[in-house]
Amino acid sequence: MTETAKTPPELEALVADVKPDNADLLAVFHHIQEAYGYVPPEAIPLLAAKLRTTPAKVFGAMSFYSEIRTEPPPRLTISWCSGPACRLKGGENIRRALESILDVELDQSTPDLALGLRLVQCDGTCALAPLVRLNGRPRGPLTVAEAIRLARELREAGGNGRQA
Amino acid sequence: MSVYSDLRAKVNKVWQTVETPPRPRIAVGITTCSRAQGADETLAAIRRELAQRKLEADVVVTGCWGLCYAEPMVEVAKPSGQRVLYQQVTADSVPRLIDEGLDGEGVCGVLALAATGATPVQGVPSLESLHIITLQTRRLMANCGVIEPDSIDQYIGRGGYEGLAQALAMPSEAVIKEVTNAGLWGRGGAAFPTGRKWDFLRGSKTQPKYMVCNADEGDPGSFVNRTLMESDPHLIIEGMAIGGHACGASNGFIYIREEYPLCAERMRLAIGQARERGLLGPDVLGSGVAFDLEVVRGAGSYVCGEETGLIASIEDRRGMPKIRPPFPAQAGVFAKPTNVNNVETYANVPLIMRHGAPWYASMGTEKNKGTKMFSLSGHIQRVAVLEVPFGVPLRRLIDACGGLPEGRTLKAIQPGGPLGGIINAQHVDIPLEPEPFREQGALLGSGGLVIIDDTACIVDLCLYFEWFAEDESCGRCTTCHGGTQRMVEILRRIANGAGRSSDKEMLRLLGDTLRWSNCAHGTAAPTVVLNMLDAFPEEYQEHVEGKRCPARQCRGLVRYEISGPSPNLPAAAAICPTAAIVGKDGAYRIDQGLCIKCDACREIAPEAVQVVDALAPSTV
Repeated sequence: MTETAKTPPELEALVADVKPDNADLLAVFHHIQEAYGYVPPEAIPLLAAKLRTTPAKVFGAMSFYSEIRTEPPPRLTISWCSGPACRLKGGENIRRALESILDVELDQSTPDLALGLRLVQCDGTCALAPLVRLNGRPRGPLTVAEAIRLARELREAGGNGRQA
Repeated sequence: MSVYSDLRAKVNKVWQTVETPPRPRIAVGITTCSRAQGADETLAAIRRELAQRKLEADVVVTGCWGLCYAEPMVEVAKPSGQRVLYQQVTADSVPRLIDEGLDGEGVCGVLALAATGATPVQGVPSLESLHIITLQTRRLMANCGVIEPDSIDQYIGRGGYEGLAQALAMPSEAVIKEVTNAGLWGRGGAAFPTGRKWDFLRGSKTQPKYMVCNADEGDPGSFVNRTLMESDPHLIIEGMAIGGHACGASNGFIYIREEYPLCAERMRLAIGQARERGLLGPDVLGSGVAFDLEVVRGAGSYVCGEETGLIASIEDRRGMPKIRPPFPAQAGVFAKPTNVNNVETYANVPLIMRHGAPWYASMGTEKNKGTKMFSLSGHIQRVAVLEVPFGVPLRRLIDACGGLPEGRTLKAIQPGGPLGGIINAQHVDIPLEPEPFREQGALLGSGGLVIIDDTACIVDLCLYFEWFAEDESCGRCTTCHGGTQRMVEILRRIANGAGRSSDKEMLRLLGDTLRWSNCAHGTAAPTVVLNMLDAFPEEYQEHVEGKRCPARQCRGLVRYEISGPSPNLPAAAAICPTAAIVGKDGAYRIDQGLCIKCDACREIAPEAVQVVDALAPSTV
C-alpha cells in the first residue's frame, strides 16, 4: 500500500482543485489519505502554495486531527474503541491485553508495519460493546479471553491473516 | 406552492407502491449499527437466495428504526397488506426467512419482531404494542426505517419539502416567528432559542451568510444525529433550506464527523437529488430564493463540535475554538455572518412549518416543547435510539430498553457526553428536560444516555472522562489544557491508592478555575468530577481514606489472587498475556510483578481467581 506510485504528478492531480477559503483542506487530506494511506510530507508545500499560506499552517492543521496520518499505516489496523459503553464492559482490560500481546501501545505500529493498534472514538455501534475493528470491520462483543486469542492469531499471521 | 404541488403529484405513485407493493418488497435496514452486525451480508444473502430460487421480489435499502439491539432488521411487505418486521436476520437465517416469510401469508415466526402495517398479523404483535415503541412519539423519526434514505421521491411522498414550500411563501420574519412560537431551542446542548439565533443572522447586512449544520456528534455514546442522517437525510436539508430563507443565507455547510462515513455518503447523495429537483440551487422551488449546501467531513477532533472550533475547521485551520465576541452571527465562517445549529434542531424545523407552531408545542412540558431523541447504551439490555416528548422520566426509557443486565442494580446515569456529568441512580425519575439536570449540576446535552450499573467505579469513570477531556483539549488556553491535565493526575493518583485528604479541595479549586476557560470544553470539563464529589461522596472517600475501590475496578487498588483449586486453572494460565500465572505440581499462584490485571484469567476460572483489595487488609 505504501509503495504504490508516490509520484508528485499524482499528488498534484489530487490537490489540483484546492482553493483558498473554500473549505477544501480536510477534503483533500481525506483524498490523499485514501490514495496513499497517509498524507506524505511532499503534500504539505503543494497544499500551502494552493491555499496561499505557509507549510507550517498546513502541517499545523494536519497534525491537529487524529484521523489524518502522517506516517504509512500498518497492513492491519486494530482499532480499539475508547467509548463509554466499551469501557463499562471491559474495554480497558482488552486494551491492556492487546498492548501486552502485540507489544505496541495505542497509536503505535510494529516496526515491520504488520500490525498497529489505534484508539478510535465511539461511532454508536454500542450494541457490540466491547469491540475492536480489524481494518474497519467490527468484532464484538468480545471477552478479554477472546480478544487475547484474536490478538495471538493476528500476531502469528503477521498482519496477513484472516481479517474478519 | 405550485412547483411543489407538481413535484408532489409526480411522486404520489412512488409512495403508493411502497405502501401497497405490487409484489413482495424486502427492505433491509443498512446503517452504521446494522452494518456492524452484518446487515451487508444479510442483504447479499437475500439477493443471492432470491436469484437462486428465481423468486420475484423487490429488495430495497432502508434506514434505522432505532432498535440497535435487534439489527440486522428486515421488513417484508406483501401485496395483501401484510407487513412484518424481522429482527436479528443474519445471513445464516436468510434461507429460513425466505422459506417461511415470503410466500402468501406466511410469517417466519422465530425472527418476527412486529407487524408494521395496518393489517394485524396473527401471532405477531403490532409495532405500536412493543414496550420500546409505546413510550415513544416519533415525529423526527417518523421516516426512520420506513423510507429508503436514498429516495427523494419517498421523502416527498411522505410530505417532505412541503414545509420548505410553505416557508418560501412566507416573509422571513414570519418563518422565524413560527419557529419562536413553537418554542424550538438548540438540541446540541446549549439549549439556546433557535428563533432568536436566526434573528441575529437575519439582522446582519453582510453577504454571503452561512447556515452551518453541526453534525460532529462527538459525544461518545451519543448517536441520535447519525440515526437521522442515515435514515432521513432530506429532513435535515429541508430544515437548513428553511433556515437559509429565514436568515437570508444562501450557502450552507454540513460538518460531519470522520467516524460517520455513511452519513456523509447519504447526505451528499441527498444534496445532489435536491439540486436536481430544484429544491436547492439558485432558484429554490421557483421562489427566486437561492440556497445550496455542501458536506465537509471532519477528521477526528472532539472540540470541533464546539461551534467556533467547527467554524475554524471549515476554514482549513486547526479546529480550535475562538474567543467570543465576535459571535458567529457577526463573524463566522470566513469571517462572514454564520448560524450554527445541531442536526436535530434543523430536523425539527420542517415539522414546525408543515404542521404549525401550535401542533409542535402541544407536546412536551411548559418550558420545553416538542420531542427529543435519546440514545441509550452501556449497561442496558437493549441499546436503542428513542424519541420521546420532553419531560418523560428517565426511568421509563431505561425500562423500555429492557432494564439493566440480569441481577444488576443501577448506580449512575451519564447524560450529555463526557462533559455532561454523572447523576446518582437515586435521581432516576428525573424528567428528561434541561432544568432538572442543571439542578443536579449536570447537562442533558445532545441525547446520549450512558447507563451505569453497580459493577462500575465512579472514580475510575471520572478518571476516564477527565482523561477524554484532557486528550481532546485543543490547547489554546492553559486554563483548560493545564486544568484537565492536573485533574487527571490527581484522579490517577487516587485510583492508584495515593489519594490525599487535601485532594477534594484541590479538585474543587481546579473545577472553579476551569470555569474560566475560553470555551465550553474547558468550562464543562470538571462537571463529572464535581458531580462525583457531590453525589458519590462515600465512594470517593473510600478510595482516598480507605485506599479501597469498592467496585474493584481501580487497578492500583486491587490485586488478582488464586483463591483455590480449579480444573480451569491450566487454561487460565495459558490465556494470560504476560504468563503471570505460575503453576507447580498443580498449585498455581499469580506473579504480581507480571500481572497486568486484565481479568482474562478470572473469566476462564471465576471459581478460582479472586480480585482482592491490594492495600486494605486482604480477604484471602
